[in-house]
Amino acid sequence: MEDVITEIPPPSRFFQEDLNNFITPSPSLPSPFLVFSNPKPKKPLRPSLLIIALSSPSLYIFHHLSPKTLIGSLILPEVPLSGISIDPSLSDKTCNIYSLNDGDKSILLVSVQNGVSAERSHLVSRLLIGEDIVPERVLILDSIQSQNFRGKLSPDETYAFKLETLAERKGLGGGNVASSLLKGLDYFPSGSMIDGLAAALLSRCQLKNIKGALCVSWPEFGSSVAGLIRSLLQRNVLPNLDSSLKGDVQDQYARFNLMKHQPYDTEMYT
Amino acid sequence: MEFVIEQGKQPHHECSTLILPALSIGNVGQLAMDLLVSSMKAERIGYVDDPFVLPCVGNDAYGPIPCGDLALPLEAYQSSSSRLTLLQQRSPVVKGRMVEFAKNLANFAAASGKKHVVLLSSLDFGKWQKIDMSSGLQIHYLSSVNPDGRDARCEQLGWKRLQEYNPAQRCWKYLRTLAEGNTMLESNLPFEDELEDEDYYPSLPFAALFSCLKAKGLKVTCLLCYCSEGDNIQDAFQLAEAACRLLGLNPSTFPGNGSGGWVIPFSWQTVYGPPPDMSIF
Repeated sequence: MEDVITEIPPPSRFFQEDLNNFITPSPSLPSPFLVFSNPKPKKPLRPSLLIIALSSPSLYIFHHLSPKTLIGSLILPEVPLSGISIDPSLSDKTCNIYSLNDGDKSILLVSVQNGVSAERSHLVSRLLIGEDIVPERVLILDSIQSQNFRGKLSPDETYAFKLETLAERKGLGGGNVASSLLKGLDYFPSGSMIDGLAAALLSRCQLKNIKGALCVSWPEFGSSVAGLIRSLLQRNVLPNLDSSLKGDVQDQYARFNLMKHQPYDTEMYT
Repeated sequence: MEFVIEQGKQPHHECSTLILPALSIGNVGQLAMDLLVSSMKAERIGYVDDPFVLPCVGNDAYGPIPCGDLALPLEAYQSSSSRLTLLQQRSPVVKGRMVEFAKNLANFAAASGKKHVVLLSSLDFGKWQKIDMSSGLQIHYLSSVNPDGRDARCEQLGWKRLQEYNPAQRCWKYLRTLAEGNTMLESNLPFEDELEDEDYYPSLPFAALFSCLKAKGLKVTCLLCYCSEGDNIQDAFQLAEAACRLLGLNPSTFPGNGSGGWVIPFSWQTVYGPPPDMSIF
């Protein structure tokens, strides 16, 4: 049982292998690559907005978004392709790229359903931003990783924070807060860090001077956080979101969440 | 490795001394860098992008009130008054790529016209074998000035040369060969499961950086302190003060208004996690 008086601080220390010059590196992997359904797309693609969904609630919301057109996929050679459905499914380990219709805005959506390791994130971020895809603006949706968060995270409360590139913040200068992608959210508290693909993507935006915003939410799963993400997207990003979603996403997500993230192994019980 | 200059900023060539952390137990080098950047009110001039550093982002680490300024894994700062370039590293290096990272950094330092590189790092108390109680909790150093690692300036400051540095030892020789870009016979490679006690020091990140920077012809001074993992704030102060002594800087003349010139970075408020929940009492 955990000590109820003090919480163990999140780990901030190195593993032994982090401090060893002579440790054998992981076997090198073939580079990831993009494939597009149109064999000869006009490259680079220049969407006005690139949305990259990493968190469970955002993946669920976008899966039920319609209409959207599957235009391509990011292939990670280390992820097996066997078992992938013909029609996109939430259980597939895929990284599909969709085109969304929203008036005169060209929006691309990347649903990252397979895990991307921290070591591969630098490469993947280069593929998604700045080479074959050069977006005007980027929105990344991820979850807070409790081990990297230096504050208190109550499982009963819902939070969302943001981080923005300098270009995004400068673009909002002159009090043009109305155009902020993540209006109303507080900045992620100083002292805590975000790592992995979300960090690599936002860093890439900063280095390329692209307007970019990252929203991290808590908890990782749950209908309340799905509702929070949905209202954020509807308010600032996709005003027609509600009419584009099939059914009551929040309720469906609660049921999906319950099935997918059981705290116990149901196969033990007959 | 790519250096991306922040918009509107200009690196000054007179800032020819580079100071940076080498990852180590207790994150002491990185904490010391935080203290130096914060207290000198050093200005960020750009970012260093390297594929061998794991990604991370955060809110401004220094304050006084973080307002969303993005913090990235490798950031370059400048203090013109101290003629210093400071490089802060916030995340680990990809497993097994430390030497490649060190080479990239050495190339970057040489290409940017740096003349003297100061590495801040720490050593594990548990590995301290040649314990000399008269030395106490003092600073140890390693310098590229002489083949045996000795430096008259550091001796004058009362610091002890790292006794365990032996350039003829197999791992130090291996690092030197890697840093110089030469190939080695496979039988001379120190395999992970064959590492012995004497291999500990050259296995550390500071050793890779020292070897690669030295191979580029730069003057390198490593400042090291022994510590255990825990609350390493005091170790960070000790190392930062040593760096100032080495470079002839007086913290009380820093633009900060903290005690003795030191300004605690805003991010340190939660560096070891949140305080205990007092509402249960």
